[in-house]
Amino acid sequence: MTGNEIVSETSTKTTAGEDILGRVEEMQRGLDGSYRDEIVEAIYQDAEAITRKVVRTSETASYPWDQKLDRIVTSRIWGLPFMALLLGVVFWITISGANVPSSLLAEGLFWLGARGVELFEWLGMPWWVTGFIWHGVYRGLAWVIAVMLPPMAIFFPIFTILEDLGYLPRVAFNVDALFKKAGAHGKQALTMSMGLGCNAAGVVACRVIDSPRERLIAILTNNFMPCNGRWPTLIILATLFVAAAFPPAFAAMAAAGSLVLIVLIGAATTLLVSAVLSRSFLRGEASSFTLELPPYRRPSILRVLYTSLIDRTIFVLWRAVVMAVPAGGVIWLLSNIHAGGQSLTVWVSQWLEPVGRAIGLDGVILLAYIIAIPANEIVVPTIIMAYTGAGMMIELDTMAELQHLLVNQQGWTLLTAVCLMLFSLLHNPCSTTMWTVYRETKSVKWTVVSGLMPLAIAFLLLFIVAQTAYWVMGLAGW
Amino acid sequence: MTGIIVLIVAGALFVPQYGLFWRIRRRRWLHSRQAVEDALAHLHQFQHDGRPASVESLSNTLGTSTKHTLVLVNRMAQLDLVVMTGQGMRLTAAGHRWALQIVRAHRLFERYLADETSVPREEIHARAHRLEHTVTEAQVDKMDADMGHPAFDPQGDPIPNAAGDMKEIESQKLVDWPAGVPALIVHIEDEPPEVYAQIIAEDLHPGMVITIVDMSPVRVVIGTPDAEHVLAPVVAANVSVREAPIEGVEPAGVPLTTLEHGEAGRVVGLSPACQGLTRRRFQDLGLTPGARVERVMQSAFSDPTAYRVRNTMIALRREQSDLIRIERAPRKEQEIDA
Repeated sequence: MTGNEIVSETSTKTTAGEDILGRVEEMQRGLDGSYRDEIVEAIYQDAEAITRKVVRTSETASYPWDQKLDRIVTSRIWGLPFMALLLGVVFWITISGANVPSSLLAEGLFWLGARGVELFEWLGMPWWVTGFIWHGVYRGLAWVIAVMLPPMAIFFPIFTILEDLGYLPRVAFNVDALFKKAGAHGKQALTMSMGLGCNAAGVVACRVIDSPRERLIAILTNNFMPCNGRWPTLIILATLFVAAAFPPAFAAMAAAGSLVLIVLIGAATTLLVSAVLSRSFLRGEASSFTLELPPYRRPSILRVLYTSLIDRTIFVLWRAVVMAVPAGGVIWLLSNIHAGGQSLTVWVSQWLEPVGRAIGLDGVILLAYIIAIPANEIVVPTIIMAYTGAGMMIELDTMAELQHLLVNQQGWTLLTAVCLMLFSLLHNPCSTTMWTVYRETKSVKWTVVSGLMPLAIAFLLLFIVAQTAYWVMGLAGW
Repeated sequence: MTGIIVLIVAGALFVPQYGLFWRIRRRRWLHSRQAVEDALAHLHQFQHDGRPASVESLSNTLGTSTKHTLVLVNRMAQLDLVVMTGQGMRLTAAGHRWALQIVRAHRLFERYLADETSVPREEIHARAHRLEHTVTEAQVDKMDADMGHPAFDPQGDPIPNAAGDMKEIESQKLVDWPAGVPALIVHIEDEPPEVYAQIIAEDLHPGMVITIVDMSPVRVVIGTPDAEHVLAPVVAANVSVREAPIEGVEPAGVPLTTLEHGEAGRVVGLSPACQGLTRRRFQDLGLTPGARVERVMQSAFSDPTAYRVRNTMIALRREQSDLIRIERAPRKEQEIDA
């Protein structure tokens, strides 16, 4: 073939192609909108015809078990109390079950740390290498593992069982009316329960919401569900200031009860903020809502263990470890670099003191929250370290010692505890969550909003609570 | 003394119309893509309706002074977009092509916002108006293809295709339609917004079949299968209709919401008000004509309600189940089904 022939051949092909495209265009014009409906209907008709031929169903196609269970868990009277009770039981199992393994782990890891220090001293390392590695980095790591691993290894499997069982969609079904009033989507309840484990996971879970507006609302408010990293703080405070008022037999139950209360406050905040957002920056009506309620299934044990331990526990723990290592180092450096006769920790916390006081906390707590931006798990150990001036995360063997330090030496009151619990619930999300928000929204603006909005809300609310309390105490002459 | 200087400077900057701030803004606006495109859209609209467009009509629509409109028109003439004729301004071929692109982008955005997002109906026009100036022709083509080449926007205005052709449909104003004859709503005018808001409040959509029940100089009463609506004649004038096809486009039957607890029915169809995301979701779930639906459960707050469709339990909110038209199964069939 000569060059000319090729050219003429291609040109006829192009015209043929254009002809076809032109005809397609023409035919498209002749269609009205209903052809899509017709396609879907035809597919379903075919599928029905095939099923009729090849699928045999048993005569009694009823669902007695499911219906009975559904009647209870979605009942008008029992549905919501059942939900709260279930939440309380899950917390109670987590708190009371995690106690012993946590202290064992702490003991073991700190023992190992002490051997490490001895090893370094024997090798003749300079004091600051030993300090930075073993008292800074290693202790941060040890604390995070000891505090986080046991509760997560208990909470996540229970949560996965509830998920596998098919209970979570029922929760969304029960509370959807509230979300509808807030202009949000009922599936937000699913993403919130996910957030109880980890907010970053909760933010990713928001993909189940189709409408972009409602999805964004769910993403921005997910932080108001306390995640695993914040539980240690909440549990310690609940144990020290709430459970202490009850006889020992009921202590764990009282602590679980106060956690349920915190979660409910978080849920109320979520709804309120969602409502405000959907009436201001994210104006819009509640859009399409369809929620599948799958039949109840028996959870498969292996799958539960795999999903909860490998996918969730290890994933969350790994992330916390990665964040805790540098944070442990930073704490050690801040406490051991001295200027003008004081460590940097003291300087910064003195500078933050007035702000902290205004919202019922103190400078040390705020400093701990700044250091803990990468991982909230290390808030309590950082506070203890700064108070004792030990320059490292120390090991406090018993709750009694901790109580002595916080109440008797540092003058914490019930107000401090309440304010700290609220701050822990409402403050800015950790850096991983914010990074996830960016990945999910691809927007710097919404990422910044997701960080600053909760912080502003936390400061505002705490300021009101603290000032009111100071005023009342002033009146009462305390 | 300082106060006076501050006042003078502030005045020089911010006095309405003459302040430097406003001058710069106006200058930037005059040179913006939006100014040109808004002017093109206006000229296109007038030409389409067979009305002569003038500098006055243009400055009315754009809300600018005659002087600045003239500057804009001159610029557009230099760009070979408009020519002045005895009958006023006319679009050149290039101007016409560009204008169609804007109309296309605007209507596609309206279609998108209505179908895929939960932006309130009364805000759709304004949002589309802002977005239409931000896209390139290639992006508009892609949007058109992704949405499956829709032919009409949510108000029933035809969407031009890439070549600029559009499907025109003949219609009459609702006020000219004879009483008692079923009519299909084909178009709803979205301007002025005040009038449009009243149509939205009555929840009227293109694709609905209505009948005029009563008409007087002060009110028009129209009937839909579920309700009666009262409109002022000036509002009704913004609704255009044509003869309803023999098979009603609006599926007959009753809304799914009317089903009592434990009752079952068969899907007749989806309301024309149900478009885009919601319609696709419903079809994915198998809510196609003939499918059996049974109401099985109600949530703690009485909304949403769970229905069993094709052996799956699905919870729907009241607003959604109103969009699904069903036929109640007669008692006998219910027993057989159960």
